Amino acid sequence: MKALVYLTWRSFVNNIKRAVKKPVTLILMIFLASYMVYVAFVMGRLAMDLRFDSVQGMVVLISIWTIYVFLTNFIGYASKKGVIFRPGHTHFVFPAPISPKLILVYSAWMNYLLSVAVNLLFVVAGLTVFGVELWRMLLFFVVGCILELLLEGSLMVFLYTNESLPEGVLKGLCNAMKGFLAAVTLFFVWYFYREGFTLESFSAFFDWPGLQMVPVVGWNIAAYRLILSGPTQLNVICTVLYVLTVAAMFLAAWKMKCGGGYFEDAAKFADDYAEMRKKKNSGEMVTGIGEKKKKFRRISGNYQASGAKAVFYRQLLEYKKERYFIFSKVTLINLIVSLLLAFAFRENAVESGVPQMFLLGIIAYMTLVMSGVTGKWEAELKSPYLFLIPDTPVRKLWYATLMEHVKALADGLLFCIPIGVMWRISPVLVMQAVLIYMVLQANKMYTKVVVQCLIGDYLGRTVQDLVRIFIQMFIIGIGALAAVLAGILINLNLVFPIVLIYSMILTMLMGALASIRFDSMEQMD
Amino acid sequence: MLEIQELSKSYGKHLAVDKVSFFVPDGQVGILLGPNGAGKSTIIKSIAGLLRYQGRIGIQGISSRTLEAKKIFGYVPEIPAMFDALTVREHIEYIRKAYSSAITDAEADALLERFELGDKQDKLGNELSKGMMQKVSICCALAIKPRVMLLDEPMVGLDPQAIKELKKVVLELRSQGVTVLISTHMLEMVEELWDIMFVMDKSHIVGSYRKADVGEKDLDDLFFEMTGGGES
Repeated sequence: MKALVYLTWRSFVNNIKRAVKKPVTLILMIFLASYMVYVAFVMGRLAMDLRFDSVQGMVVLISIWTIYVFLTNFIGYASKKGVIFRPGHTHFVFPAPISPKLILVYSAWMNYLLSVAVNLLFVVAGLTVFGVELWRMLLFFVVGCILELLLEGSLMVFLYTNESLPEGVLKGLCNAMKGFLAAVTLFFVWYFYREGFTLESFSAFFDWPGLQMVPVVGWNIAAYRLILSGPTQLNVICTVLYVLTVAAMFLAAWKMKCGGGYFEDAAKFADDYAEMRKKKNSGEMVTGIGEKKKKFRRISGNYQASGAKAVFYRQLLEYKKERYFIFSKVTLINLIVSLLLAFAFRENAVESGVPQMFLLGIIAYMTLVMSGVTGKWEAELKSPYLFLIPDTPVRKLWYATLMEHVKALADGLLFCIPIGVMWRISPVLVMQAVLIYMVLQANKMYTKVVVQCLIGDYLGRTVQDLVRIFIQMFIIGIGALAAVLAGILINLNLVFPIVLIYSMILTMLMGALASIRFDSMEQMD
Repeated sequence: MLEIQELSKSYGKHLAVDKVSFFVPDGQVGILLGPNGAGKSTIIKSIAGLLRYQGRIGIQGISSRTLEAKKIFGYVPEIPAMFDALTVREHIEYIRKAYSSAITDAEADALLERFELGDKQDKLGNELSKGMMQKVSICCALAIKPRVMLLDEPMVGLDPQAIKELKKVVLELRSQGVTVLISTHMLEMVEELWDIMFVMDKSHIVGSYRKADVGEKDLDDLFFEMTGGGES
């Protein structure tokens, strides 16, 4: 135990030291903390505006949180993905003479911290927004921290170390929970769509006695109702059942034998988690931990290309081997966002008389603010082969990114056409919008490279993105301003061509600058 | 001593290790050889307690799953993975606490100096090169003062000086009665170290030799005799 405490404490101290040495990290942390406080205030204000600021409102919020946290914990622990292990654990902790159960319970300290932090947040909200008495909130905190953590810890031990339950049964349970969670979410959506989003409809739903009778999670909610709103026959009985369940689960977990069989899953999780972080840090799209290995199609065909052109044909070959060619989850997201926006703003856009300007604004927002995910081109820069190809940097840049332009064209079509159709924008303008989307995406890509050259990797991707947004907003903003002026003073039809031509010129210039990055692999760190 | 009895391990339908048994006596250096995919890593990870398996693994006669066995067992994995936010020295300190090791500060200093880590003690885990990580990994395993030591491809990534030092260390451990098992592809590196060799192929041990029985015969020749390769 003392070794694990030492490990956590020293890691904490060294991380703080490192954060202090890197002021940017510290500033980002402070910014994030301030933002969270701001969000908390806004939520509090919202609760007041919706007349949600009563004990009843508190009960509703806590009930939602309890259901959510119980189900996600169960799914996380049953699929052995609920506790964060790192490759360092596989090397130094699992083979060490420390009880496997202790390793498990200790390693989940971040989960406990989150539970305590959320309970603290509830206490603050209860006292400041929801007007709950102090003694009730303190009792809620104590009960929440003790019983909830005991239940969570026991559940974790039971699901991680249970070697008698067949894997198939656990998987089945896990899938059932996921199904239940999805069903509950859908039911919520349907219920509030029908009844309206008011405190009364909320209360009616959460006052339903059946909810408190649901084993474990319902009994847990009943315990909180007992503390916050006072006793009823139902919540007293359910609370007693909850306390007995927690005690029984704790005893079962305490007695359970654990020889470290879960180390196999934990070691795999550690590798998958490290891989996921690596991908995330390099800007790739990550949808979960332990993604399945990609399956590639077998294709036939022969390409002949020399110099930098070979990079393009290699990428083309790779995309052809992928199941959906150049289409990915990003394409799907683009289509969904497009349909949602088209639907949400259709009245405002059409009534304004200039729906094309709404479209242009959305394109600018999507391109400038969203950081996007890296495509194959960014991986090219990490490969020494690109730099060994005997060709000019400009051609290398062009052929390494050409496929991205094709992808941007496809994404642009999928994004602009649904909006264009629903908002009744002329096809000529829609096509121009597609081209603008494509050019702005290219501009984003090249500006990103230029920013990397300017500030290096030292400040991290977030700062790189902020600088990129600033530069893009500034230079494109000038063109946009000119286009708007021309539109107002001369003719509105000039806006799209001006933006398009100006962006193209700018993108070519940015591309010429970015090509420096394709000259040598060595970069400033 | 290290004792493997009827060890089997499957990944889904794939049987990676099939009823493997072998034994490395006290104070001897065993080497585990075999082509890629033979099942060596699975055996190593099973011994280190990182996999579920069938069969029995004994360390000094105690089941490897017990804390008593783990206390006297040192492990150097093929790919070292440091704690990002722990310094080199803190890694040793962690080992001292986890294993209740009797290693003194002076001994820890000498160990780090021996592997040219004396001036790197304050470096964090994520600031180390792969070679340095491997050295830290070896130092941590030695800091346990183990009775049984398991090294998986320990020479990969090490510089010539560190390889020389590691070979010396293995011979010292042997003279102290420590049982050592090394899994490797670098046959020439373990030529002067081994006492007993086990060759694996397709999930089974296909043969074993004692050095005392083969005289001056090369390790290469013995290996290829058993696996049938090396002609080209």
